[in-house]
Amino acid sequence: MSSSHNRSNNNNSEGAKAEQIIFEFFAKSLHIILESRTPFMSSRNFSGDQMICSPSSSSSSSSSVRPRDKWFNLALRECPAALESFDIGRRSSLEPLVVDVVLVVRPLVGDQMNLSAKRELIRNFSEKEYQSGWNSDQDELGCETKNEQIIERWVVQYDNRKIRESVTTSSRRSSSSNKLQLMYKKATLLLRSLFVMVRLLPAYKIFRELNSSGQIFKFKLVPRVPSIVEPFTRREEAEMQKFSFTPVETICGRLCLSVLYRSLSDVSCEHSTPMSPTFITDYVGSPLADPLKRFPSLPLSYGSPPLLPFQRRHSWSFDRHKASPPSVSCSPSPTRSDSHALVSHPCTRHLPPHPSEIPTGRRKESYPEEYSAYQDFSPPLSPSAPIQAVPRGITRTESAPVRIPAPTFQSKQNIVAPNPHLKLSRHASLKPVRNFGPGESGPAVDKLFLYGRDDFRKHSGVRPSSNSSPGISFSRSSSRSFQEDFDDPDFPCPFDVEYDDITDRSSRPGSFDHRGDMHEPLESSGSFPKKSQDAAVGALVKMLKKAPPLRQDVSESSIPEICWNNNNKPARAQEIAVASITASGLALTSKTTADALEELRSYKEMKNHLLLSQSTSNPSSVTTSPFDV
Amino acid sequence: MNCEVCQLKELEVESFEIREVLRCILHTIVFHRALGLIRPKDIDLELFEITYVQCGEIEVEKKIDEKIDQFISWIEKHPNKKSQICLSFYEVKSKQPSWFTNKIERLYWEQWYINLNVLQPTKSPVGKSHHSKLVMDPGEASEERSSRRTLLEQSLQDVLFQIIKFVNEKKDHVPPINDGVIYCPFEITIPSSSDSAFGMDMFKRILHSGHPSMLG
Repeated sequence: MSSSHNRSNNNNSEGAKAEQIIFEFFAKSLHIILESRTPFMSSRNFSGDQMICSPSSSSSSSSSVRPRDKWFNLALRECPAALESFDIGRRSSLEPLVVDVVLVVRPLVGDQMNLSAKRELIRNFSEKEYQSGWNSDQDELGCETKNEQIIERWVVQYDNRKIRESVTTSSRRSSSSNKLQLMYKKATLLLRSLFVMVRLLPAYKIFRELNSSGQIFKFKLVPRVPSIVEPFTRREEAEMQKFSFTPVETICGRLCLSVLYRSLSDVSCEHSTPMSPTFITDYVGSPLADPLKRFPSLPLSYGSPPLLPFQRRHSWSFDRHKASPPSVSCSPSPTRSDSHALVSHPCTRHLPPHPSEIPTGRRKESYPEEYSAYQDFSPPLSPSAPIQAVPRGITRTESAPVRIPAPTFQSKQNIVAPNPHLKLSRHASLKPVRNFGPGESGPAVDKLFLYGRDDFRKHSGVRPSSNSSPGISFSRSSSRSFQEDFDDPDFPCPFDVEYDDITDRSSRPGSFDHRGDMHEPLESSGSFPKKSQDAAVGALVKMLKKAPPLRQDVSESSIPEICWNNNNKPARAQEIAVASITASGLALTSKTTADALEELRSYKEMKNHLLLSQSTSNPSSVTTSPFDV
Repeated sequence: MNCEVCQLKELEVESFEIREVLRCILHTIVFHRALGLIRPKDIDLELFEITYVQCGEIEVEKKIDEKIDQFISWIEKHPNKKSQICLSFYEVKSKQPSWFTNKIERLYWEQWYINLNVLQPTKSPVGKSHHSKLVMDPGEASEERSSRRTLLEQSLQDVLFQIIKFVNEKKDHVPPINDGVIYCPFEITIPSSSDSAFGMDMFKRILHSGHPSMLG
């Protein structure tokens, strides 16, 4: 009796031990997988010679042996994600543990790239290579339906159904303690294999790239432990390869570990190219990126949101070319801006994304996931920020390996008029979208697509033709569609700015120009009282410059304005400006870039002349400038 | 205890690739047999986009490097040959003292044969094969060379998979984990100055282990 009692006790304790081994096996497997799929958290930095992670965590892990390290004699790097997602309390050992490694492509950044590329294209419409690059991007973009793809699915499972009999028969041969030892040894061996295996699979190459370089990528690896596992479709499963580790037999079942993974061609070829440095050139001193720089200073210097366009434009023209004094560059003419682009814009700067950089394929549409809880994705998106500005902010922030505090977002939120539509979609985008199937997308996502991608798709057909002509009309139609899609009369001006920035005014079609140009002068005139005389003059010069496109008659009409200004009668300037704007809006000239440059030069002369005369003129008359009228 | 033998797929390597390839394979195998408490160390190959794992024991690294050095110097003297490197794991058992011997007995329980076909070096001198990266002139990297490299990378990857599969399938023969023993004792056998010597070496080892089954 007593012996049988002891035996049952032993069995119980052994059962408990086995259970613990199983549990620890699950935990360790998870840890190994997550550690090799969560960037900046790997044993790659374990020895301390490549310190990407915080030094403290690395040194602590290398010096001391944690209790968990002793399990299976495998000391792993601390990986909080592993512990967080492994919910000890709720999990049953019978429940399979599934770890999905998801390749997430950052769609908005990609779209931003496309926007940028588009703008680049417009700036560089003479450069055919950009056009072709963009077109192919567009094609790729058009095919894109998902931005998320499960590239690996690890399944750790304890199977206690089939093996029971064979195990019990074999267990008679060896003592149960021996069996435990054997089981433990085999589990240890299996985990060694797993450790090597995770490094051989294609996903590790992505992880390695993400981890090893300071570059920013349009994709990231997100390991997930889904509570509800979405089974793969047959097609998906057929596309993947499977490797099953030999199960480890336990006292009453077996431990199974398998992985479904995408092949190298599926994964790496598609996504390895974004490692090109073209991404970075976008934010280093690029006029396209620089506007953000000025955001914090805006409220301080002017406090007037409508001035944003001027300020932003000024920011890069001044920063890059220190020659122009702030008061003047406050109102550089668009023509001048364009000339900057044409003259100083190097070919290397912000190349349009390479076709292969654009995500394609079977990725799930989950922009939201993109933004939620990604560690190195620090700055929250400003919900009201215009689409142009936000992704650029992201780009900047992500570009550095170290987190950059982005106060610009705060100030930008203050400056830019909130756009309820954008806000909605941004907010919505923060919701998890796991519910959306591969083919479907939630309203938020739809909304996001509305301006983020679908617009481009919509206009993809337009692009080539618009490119063949100076390539301008597309930008306009596109921006128009943004406006129309949102049907938001209060749509913030930054859009106008952006397109104003990028578009050669001489070739703007009237439809959009009308709106855009009406907008800016009014804003600027409204803010005149707050500005200095120089600024006022600058603004006036800007108006004058804007007003006449490349048409002789219109540009002639601007000359009297200057005269009026010189005669201290600028009260009519606004009228004239508006009138000339209308004229410019209707002016569908076909002047060349050279003409534009020529004209710019003459404007510059005019401006200089104006400034000179301004400085020499009677101060009292200047102060009584009738701008306030 | 039976001795499991694994013949790894033959790799066609140039002399400058030998070091990396051998390190990768040998360390991967030893890692699987280092069942004591280890801190794995990831190593990225320089020539290939492959990451392998070391068990983090300096002695292991030293031993492997020494053997690779020996092998490379042997290859320099015997170019253009197919060669085999054998990694054997054994258990140590003190033999019953007798008038014949009182030596420690090695019981081999696993052998890995790494098969290399060392190709004639095309451009770079063989002697500098240690520092392959320096020898390789990127300007000279022809298409053929890169495709060969890709092939070798794939083959090496296959070999690593082969190791994983073998380790997974054959577990019973692995001796139990002993406390304080980080890795199972192993030896690396390379062809010595002559092939016959290599054969002799093997013969000796067989004699020691007393397992004729190893011959297979």
